[in-house]
Amino acid sequence: MSEDTETMPIEDYLAQGGQLTSPANVPPRYRGELLRLMASFVDSELAASAGFADTINTAPGITARIAACKITLEKADHAGRVLDLMGDFGADQGRYATQHPWADRLPRDAALGQARHGADMRLAVFHYPIEGWVDAVVMNVLQGLAAGVTLDEMARVSYAPLADVFRAIAPRERRHTELGVTGLAEIAATEAGRAEAKASVVYWRPRVADSFGSLASARFETQKRFGLRHRPNEALLADWTAQVQATLAPLGLD
Amino acid sequence: MARFHSLDVVDVRKETRDAVVVTLKPRGEDAALFDFTQGQYLTFRRKFDEDELRRSYSICAGKGDGLLKVGIKRVDGGAFSTWANEELTAGTTLEAMPPMGRFFTPIEPEAARNYLGFAGGSGITPVLSIIKTVLAAEPRSTFTLVYANRQISSIMFREELEDLKNRYLGRLSIVHVLESEAQDIDLFTGRVDAEKCAALFRTWIDLPSISTAFICGPEPMMLAIAGALKEHGLAEAQIKFELFASGQPGRARKRAVSAEATASNSTTEATVTLDGATRSFRMPKEGQSLLDAALSANIDAPYACKAGVCSTCRAKVLEGETEMAVNHALEDYEVRQGYVLTCQCFPLSDKVVVSYDQ
Repeated sequence: MSEDTETMPIEDYLAQGGQLTSPANVPPRYRGELLRLMASFVDSELAASAGFADTINTAPGITARIAACKITLEKADHAGRVLDLMGDFGADQGRYATQHPWADRLPRDAALGQARHGADMRLAVFHYPIEGWVDAVVMNVLQGLAAGVTLDEMARVSYAPLADVFRAIAPRERRHTELGVTGLAEIAATEAGRAEAKASVVYWRPRVADSFGSLASARFETQKRFGLRHRPNEALLADWTAQVQATLAPLGLD
Repeated sequence: MARFHSLDVVDVRKETRDAVVVTLKPRGEDAALFDFTQGQYLTFRRKFDEDELRRSYSICAGKGDGLLKVGIKRVDGGAFSTWANEELTAGTTLEAMPPMGRFFTPIEPEAARNYLGFAGGSGITPVLSIIKTVLAAEPRSTFTLVYANRQISSIMFREELEDLKNRYLGRLSIVHVLESEAQDIDLFTGRVDAEKCAALFRTWIDLPSISTAFICGPEPMMLAIAGALKEHGLAEAQIKFELFASGQPGRARKRAVSAEATASNSTTEATVTLDGATRSFRMPKEGQSLLDAALSANIDAPYACKAGVCSTCRAKVLEGETEMAVNHALEDYEVRQGYVLTCQCFPLSDKVVVSYDQ
């Protein structure tokens, strides 16, 4: 970091695919959108971790129990890594992490759609309660696939330290989904298990789909201009839809 | 939140006509805090008249050098860099935050990697820190530096780089590209653009053998190089950037606040600018934050925690008076410049003008 004369406006630089590297060189509006995006990720990971913690005790067997522990642990860790970056911008990390009751959930039949709810920025899907082990596994698989699609998109984010974090955590998030798919295959091996899983798929599928946000989003254009996003919500949703079908069909759950 | 600490200036050395290298020593109790990683930078603060200026400069020392050094190149109209080049002397005390930045890859002593670095002008500073550290701490790794400058006389750390080349024989190669001085080989004259990169990758640099590329320089150069690296097969994760802090104004702008006569109304005329669009609306002085009022007026203002913790909703008050109920995220100097957390901000005057764009 130092200075020179042959520069260009930061907006042009971003529009041409440039990356920013520290709080010192981000423009104000970029700062706002970037922090919002990071807060949404942190809140979703903390809420996901908190929600999954309860499922540890419903896990059938030690392997399943360890998988649930691992997911609970690593989602909190991923939140911490992004919160560290928010700290570079001045966020009070200690207060932030305890700011909201991350384990709080709404009733199962609440109808949030795509709207955020309450005081934190978690995706709406993390406001719905998980009911039992099978439900947890199904939610983890569907939401895990969604996280995979989102992380592919976010690994190109123009704030380089954040892109680095997303690239580092993507393989671990992918592993969470793989653990889920293994668990789901075991569940779907019996008729009773398959029926229960199917009911959970019916419940979670539209709710996870909603987390891709509104189609033709106005905010997307702003984020795209800043290089914070690249592909529209529609494209991400289509990727996820295809992946869900490819994952569920072999298990007889589609 | 990071805090400032006093550092003693033990040496100021003229590196080129318009750049100095400043050697700093943390006070005993702060030594561990300033134990930097190669490629990081220090943020300094200093008062110029009544304005506090903050400027970031990269560390140019290697991790094992046992010294803390930064390179400061003078920019036209830059208050801090001019002061550092003309007036700063040994014995002065500077205030700096502990090292920050992520322009590095972890050192693995056993690794045998080939690194590639591109530096434009004073962009050499963090790259030099990386070169020194890698050569000393990863004995089997090599480094290739492409270093762009206007002319020979403006090359920072020219001698030091030559010394490193001799000390680590065969492990450091340097390609100087000079914009306005002809050299024997045409390839080494001109700007480092996509075409130049392609030519370098054909003849001088074996890109498939490179593990990580570091780029630090002005924006157009970084775009051109990053584009060329990707086009020739390097993955996004293999490219590390450090951008010049060019967005920083030379001088801190003063807070423009008109201390309005004591307010008498129970509502305020609020004017809010976001993404270049300005809207006005009336809001109560009590019971509703500026952020909530803006959101109710269908302004898509950024926010996250709504608790004064995350700083997402930061904006600048250009006119009028406000107060913040809670502030866990803005520093004193930001508040003095007029920044507020709009989720915690309530108007006191009959009119407030606020911008999310500044």
